Formats: sequence, C-alpha cells, structure tokens
Amino acid sequence: LLQVLNEKKLQEVDSLWKEFETPEKANKIVKLKHFEKFQDTAEALAAFTALMEGKINKQLKKVLKKIVKEAHEPLAVADAKLGGVIKEKLNLSCIHSPVVNELMRGIRSQMDGLIPGVEPREMAAMCLGLAHSLSRYRLKFSADKVDTMIVQAISLLDDLDKELNNYIMRCREWYGWHFPELGKIISDNLTYCKCLQKVGDRKNYASAKLSELLPEEVEAEVKAAAEISMGTEVSEEDICNILHLCTQVIEISEYRTQLYEYLQNRMMAIAPNVTVMVGELVGARLIAHAGSLLNLAKHAASTVQILGAEKALFRALKSRRDTPKYGLIYHASLVGQTSPKHKGKISRMLAAKTVLAIRYDAFGEDSSSAMGVENRAKLEARLRTLEDRGIRKISGTGKALAKTEKYEHKSEVKTYDPSGDSTLPTCSKKRKIEQVDKEDEIIEKKAKKAKVKIK
Amino acid sequence: VTVEPHRHEGVFIYRGAEDALVTLNMVPGHSVYGERRIAVTEGGVKQEYRTWNPFRSKLAAAILGGVDQIHIKPKSKVLYLGAASGTTVSHVSDIIGPDGLVYAVEFSHRAGRDLVNVAKQRTNIIPVLEDARHPLKYRMLIGMVDVIFADVAQPDQSRIVALNAHTFLRNGGHFLISIKANCIDSTASAEAVFASEVRKLQQENLKPQEQLTLEPYERDHAVVVGVYRPLPKSGSK
Repeated sequence: LLQVLNEKKLQEVDSLWKEFETPEKANKIVKLKHFEKFQDTAEALAAFTALMEGKINKQLKKVLKKIVKEAHEPLAVADAKLGGVIKEKLNLSCIHSPVVNELMRGIRSQMDGLIPGVEPREMAAMCLGLAHSLSRYRLKFSADKVDTMIVQAISLLDDLDKELNNYIMRCREWYGWHFPELGKIISDNLTYCKCLQKVGDRKNYASAKLSELLPEEVEAEVKAAAEISMGTEVSEEDICNILHLCTQVIEISEYRTQLYEYLQNRMMAIAPNVTVMVGELVGARLIAHAGSLLNLAKHAASTVQILGAEKALFRALKSRRDTPKYGLIYHASLVGQTSPKHKGKISRMLAAKTVLAIRYDAFGEDSSSAMGVENRAKLEARLRTLEDRGIRKISGTGKALAKTEKYEHKSEVKTYDPSGDSTLPTCSKKRKIEQVDKEDEIIEKKAKKAKVKIK
Repeated sequence: VTVEPHRHEGVFIYRGAEDALVTLNMVPGHSVYGERRIAVTEGGVKQEYRTWNPFRSKLAAAILGGVDQIHIKPKSKVLYLGAASGTTVSHVSDIIGPDGLVYAVEFSHRAGRDLVNVAKQRTNIIPVLEDARHPLKYRMLIGMVDVIFADVAQPDQSRIVALNAHTFLRNGGHFLISIKANCIDSTASAEAVFASEVRKLQQENLKPQEQLTLEPYERDHAVVVGVYRPLPKSGSK
C-alpha cells in the first residue's frame, strides 16, 4: 500500500513517467505505507484466485479497513471491477483513470526501490513459485474439463470406424481365398465374422450349427456353397490367423457399440437441450469442432449453421459467390426429413434455436431438457407449415382457389443460326452510296464558302 | 566445425556440413522438443548448443530473414504472448541467460501443460496460464519488461499487444509482433492486412520501425518490430 506524497504532480499525466526514472525520485513521490507478507504460497494462491473472481479475501479486507479507512483518502485501483467491489463491500471511494495507470506503471518499474528489505532475487523467486502453483491450480481445476470426454469419445468413434472398416475388408479378402461364396451370401459384416469364427475351415460347415446367426434358407445356401466352393485349401495355422483377426473385429465392434452408448449418456448429461434439438452425434461433432461447449456457446447462430463447411465457405467468400447453406447441421434429423428445397431454410431456423440450447446448456445452472423439447416442437410445427405452403399452391384451400397460369403453347422449334459460320467481319465498314454523296456535297459547300472569303 | 557468434547477442551460427542457427543450451544434456544438440569444445570448455528450426519458430525465421534488431539480449526481461508448448520460449530463455526473465503467457491448457514442464527445467521462464486479452488478471506476476514478443494469431492481436504494452512495457521498450494475414482477414491481400495492422499499432503509441516478411519459411506472414513511447533523445529541447 503506497501513499502519493505530491498530488500536484499527478495532474500532468504525460510527464508522470519522468518522476519514476530513478528510485530516489520515485521515493519522493510515493511512500510505502504498509507491506503485508503472505505466510506461504498456499495463502498467496488463495488471495490470487479470490482476486481473479472479483472477490476480496479476508487479509485484503483487514488491511484496507485498518489503514485506508483511517486515512480517509481515495484508493487508486488498477482494476476497475475490483474498485467497484471494494466500494460496495467496504464503502471506500476508489479511483481509476489514466493517471492511475501511469502511476501503476511507474510504481511497477521502481518496485525494488520502493519496497525496502525485499531483494530482486527474492521477488523473482516469489513470482516463479507463485506462477507455478497458479498454473498447476489452473490445469487441475478447469471447469470445462467435463466436455473433453465428449470430444475425445467422438474422435475415438471416428477412428474406430475407419479401423473397423479396414479390418473387415482385410478379413473378407483373406478368407475369400478359401471360401469366396460366403462373402457374396452374407453381406452383413458382423454376421460374416461371427460365422467365420464359429466354423473356420470349409470342411466344418456341414456339421456346424449356424441357426442363431443366420435364417434357415441362408444357412442352407451356405452349407450348399461350402460343398462346391472353388476356394483354395488352407492349413491350420492360416485359419488360426484368420480367426485371430476375426476375434479382433468382433471385439472392436462390440466396443464401438459400447462407446456409442457411453457417448449418448455423456451428451445427455452434459448438454441435454442440444441432444434434444439436433441429436447426440451431431451435437457431439459440433462440440468437438469448436473445441469445448463454452467455445461453441460463443459462436453466432450463422457460424453454427455452417460449422464444418469452412473450405466451401472461404472459397465462396474469396470468389464472391454464394456461401454454403449448411455444415455439420445437415446431418440433424430435422434437416434430413425435409425436401431439398427447404433444407436451407430449416437449417437456418434449426441453427438459431440450437444456439439458444447450447448457451442454455453451457451457462445455465439446471440440467433439464424442457427448453430443448419446447423449441423442437416449435420447429417441427414451422416445418409442417412450410411443407403445407408448398402443397396448398397446387390444390388451393377452401376459401381461395389455387392460382394457375393460363396455358400458352410456346412453340419450341429450334432453327440453325448461320451467323456464327463465317469469321469474316460483316459489312459495317463499307459506307453506303447515299452517305458518300451527302458527304461530297458538304465538302463542296465548304470549299465554295472558303473561295468566297478569300476573294 | 565451428560455432561463431551472430550479429545478435546470444545467438550463434554453427558452421559444419550444413549451417544452422543455434543457441547456447542453458540445461546441457536435455532437448526440449527433440531438436539436435551440438557439443563443441571451445578453449578447453565444453559447450552445448541447440539448433533452432526456422520452420517451427517465427523468431528464428525473422533472424534468418535479416531483421535489424531483435532487442532480446542477455539479461533482458521479455514478455512472450502466445507461448504455446514452449519451443521458441526455450530458445529465448537460452538467449537471455540466467539473469534475464521471460514471462510466457499461454491460454490453452493442453499446450500449457507442456509449457509448465519446460519451465520446471529452466528457472528463467515464468509460466502464466491466462488469457492475454486481460493483462490485469496476471498483473501480480509480472514486473516491467523490456521487450514484448507476440505470436498469438488472433484477429484482435494489435489490441492485445497494446493492452499488455500499456500495463507492462517500459518507456522506450520494444515489441516484436508476428502477423499472420490469413488470421486477421482471409479475404484481403496480405499487404493490405499488414498495412492496416501497422496503422492500428501506431494509434496506440506503438511506433513501428521495421517490417519483414517471413518468406521462405512461412507464407503471408510478417514480423513488425518497433518501439513503445520512445525516450526523448538526450540533447533535444
């Protein structure tokens, strides 16, 4: 807590920095009134976090009450919000102005000289220790950590899908050398793998029981095909390896379904309104694209509408063409069930309402999905009116007949236009005969006038 | 195979099979981001240098591009905005030596984790995991600095640098800003974006002194070096 000694100097804002050029000068204009030491880093950390949230902790309150109240002078604060809080809680007048900022700069530059008994090395060590403990605190206690799970889960889901696809294709290829007909009969991937796992070598098909996996006719087909297959023979080891791959595929498939359920649960817990509006998958993708739910909440509705179509957006902006109408939101069920003509309109309306749901989930205290359900009902009603408008144009309502245009037969007989054949220019440069005569007349008249003048 | 000092204090050039920009490693035996370390014996003393990759670091690209002054020298205090994982910050820490201080500000938690790990090994790096847009939030941790280096890649970066300069940069202090044209306005041409940024800086009492493009290391990037509230020259009335 420092006290300004010479208030007149405060009037000249621009030259105030000169007063702080050296420690001696600085000591003339401000004096250290009170210096309170924190007992340890934990205390300092607590005070710091209280300040950050805009609250005054007990230590600061005590110091301010004791000294400033007695002095009856206004308190200069660097942070205007803090000043407001101090005024409210402790009834002290605070000032915050460019003069204060200049003063703070000066004090900061001469901090070592103004506070006797504190060495620069100590100060540096204090700063370092406090900064490290603060960073640790920030990393541990991040309020938005909960939606990191969703971002990671959806990325993992995409990765799993890609891997699964690769493995399944490889499995089919590999086993196809031994029993190619099975691939054509069973189109579902999971059933293929399960079937493979149960039976293995072609010879075992006759005795195998596949009734749980396949319906009767398909089972009969498979058994018949196994007899007359044109695939190669494979040894025990080869079948062993193919079976290993199959087991992997089945495990990953099961994990994928489990992960999807987990994602649905998390989405419903973290962002229930968004889930109701656009669905879990699209909601999770939006959050993953923006980075976190809070980041997503900061976007405008028009941004959320085209989130995911950035390449098309900037391409269109640079070449001054029409920008895309939908991005990730295209895969929401509401947009999917409309006719192509109205998809743009619906995506805009959906984005507008979804953004409200996002902000409600990100910043609101309660976690009910009532607001989302309401908004979705409104949107569905609007969607129905949109569709009806299209139908009414054709059939008309009870009160008004539909307007139709009078039918006029437009003869569309196309003829060949020969003007494009010749590349020689058409006769525009030749002057016409009447024009030539007129011009000659005018020249003669002028010549006569000139002759008269000379004479 | 020799290591000779660069025109800028604290930076060196390694002349070997390929020339490289290097800095003296403050923590010998450790690599920060997997860069190559070079051990050289100079006059009986073993020194270790770390290579500085200009494709990963804008400051190295500026030095190799021929910037006149970087103003970051041994014993200086630097405020580094946009520290990311601490790759360039570690080189700044090498240059300023154990007597200098670099305050590394980074908002992202993921990158901040790596930054704190780098800061654990080097005691002249002070990690600040706050938003650079609100310098008042971390005013308790930072004293007055001599240089501000900003590599934030935000559309309002001139305002961010100005706010931090008004709070922490001493009179006559310098600033280096790396401007990414795409980030400010992706539809305008790069030169127009750089000119508008320079104008915004001038309005905030940040006087630009030189501008340098970072070709061939980055596309549509420029570095602006300048002085803040220059001290009046002695002898002037």
